[in-house]
Amino acid sequence: MIKTQGLTRKFGNITAVENLSLEVREGEIVALLGPNGAGKTTTVRMLAALLAPTRGQAEVAGFDVVREPQAVRQHVGVLTETPGLYRRLSVWRNLEFFAHLYGVRDAAPRIERYLRLLGLWERKGDPVGTLSKGMRQKLALARALLHEPAVLLLDEPTSGLDPESARSVREFILELAGERRAVLLCTHNLPEAERLCDRIALLRTKLIALGNPEELKARLFGRRIQVRLANPDPGLPAALNLPFVKEAHLDGGVLTVALDDPERETPPLVRRLVELGAAVQRVTEEERTLEDVYLELVEGDNAA
Amino acid sequence: MRLKELVAKEWEEVFKIRLVLFSSLFMPLLLAGLAAYLVWQGRNLPQEAVGAQVALFNTALMYFMVLPVMIPVTIAVYSIVGEKEQGTLEPLLATPITDWELFMGKALAATLPALALTWGVFGLFLMAVWAMLGTLPGAILSPPWLLSLFLLSPLLALFGVLVTMLVSSRTTDPRAAYQFSGLAVVPALIPLIVYSARQAAVNLFLVCLEGGLLVLVNVAAFILVVRLFRREEILTRWK
Repeated sequence: MIKTQGLTRKFGNITAVENLSLEVREGEIVALLGPNGAGKTTTVRMLAALLAPTRGQAEVAGFDVVREPQAVRQHVGVLTETPGLYRRLSVWRNLEFFAHLYGVRDAAPRIERYLRLLGLWERKGDPVGTLSKGMRQKLALARALLHEPAVLLLDEPTSGLDPESARSVREFILELAGERRAVLLCTHNLPEAERLCDRIALLRTKLIALGNPEELKARLFGRRIQVRLANPDPGLPAALNLPFVKEAHLDGGVLTVALDDPERETPPLVRRLVELGAAVQRVTEEERTLEDVYLELVEGDNAA
Repeated sequence: MRLKELVAKEWEEVFKIRLVLFSSLFMPLLLAGLAAYLVWQGRNLPQEAVGAQVALFNTALMYFMVLPVMIPVTIAVYSIVGEKEQGTLEPLLATPITDWELFMGKALAATLPALALTWGVFGLFLMAVWAMLGTLPGAILSPPWLLSLFLLSPLLALFGVLVTMLVSSRTTDPRAAYQFSGLAVVPALIPLIVYSARQAAVNLFLVCLEGGLLVLVNVAAFILVVRLFRREEILTRWK
């Protein structure tokens, strides 16, 4: 659905995106993460055939962004960072106008469907200027879907929304992926990316990491078990002496142990601790968040 | 189809702005009324005041030359700066609309009402003059007048639109864009002003000369504006 190879965009001497190779498959949601100025918006604009790449290739919905830009735009739905709606026109008229630009015949049933789905039907006659920020964001999402695009490029879809609206938009995005559409989602909301996306692409001009959240966590931090002890003994980490323990340290009453395969290695670990006289209160796997992954990678890239 | 839709949207949107509506409806009526009054005054002058009569008639014609500049400038300013203010340019450019359709949509949406209103109020002006004088003075239906209305008006309207597009692409403030665009189109009216000051009747030579100059200037402005109306340019260079 989306396939880029060595995609590069320069503005004068500044390289906004360098050598980006990425694939988003049908029915897949991929989050494009990165700090401000990382090239996310430029990437989205290249994929929407709004900006031409300086180098490299991109194919979206089977069309080349340089050779077939009209066809790309016909098959892509774009949600820009700001809703970008005509404030003086009604909700209905905004959608009708864009539906006609996309060549949608008999747009009324589709407009009605999306307005009802997104809870905007009752406001269809109101000027967009009277809608709340959340409603405008939903309306912009409806606009991106009117022509039933195979590919969706969503820039901060829940930005500025209240928790309830944000949740309904997230659920809606999941439904869209369920309809076999490919979704590329730019966001700074890491928990959202973790919840919604099959894979994460971390961009900082170049692609610095790509994988599903669990893979990235395991790759960066390994897996760790935390054992809460009633009688922590400072000599315990050294006394463990087990071949599968990669690293162990005691912090207060919590012993943290790095393992390759916690499912298999935790029982012998606990047995060994008991043998050593430790009073085990609780055993849990250390939770790493996508935020930890993000910060580790971005800071690592800074250091490099 | 897309062009028609774009023009319809432009009108629907800009005519919701009171200033645009006022400039587009009230001002043409006011200027047509003033022009009729000037013609009536000119006909009431004594025979020996020919120069004064010519100046009054020229001024009346000038009012009809101001309209095709003023109306499209107002519409085009709010149409382009409005898109920028509302952040609608990117979603608009993300549709399959071509750069050419976008340019033509904006240009036609500003030019067509200007010409329709100019010619419409000219008709009202003729009726008013006929009602006041019981006849139509030959000067106001002379070839220079008619050529001014049907040749210079479209050229002036196009010039106004092109200048406004150039100015609007570089500003986000509609008032600034309006002032700069308004100033930029004043030179187009200078020949008429000069003729009025010299109390010389507008003649075919003047109209053709001004028409020729406007064609040249419009071609140059058109080349510049077409360069501006490229997706990349709009997204990356327009302020």
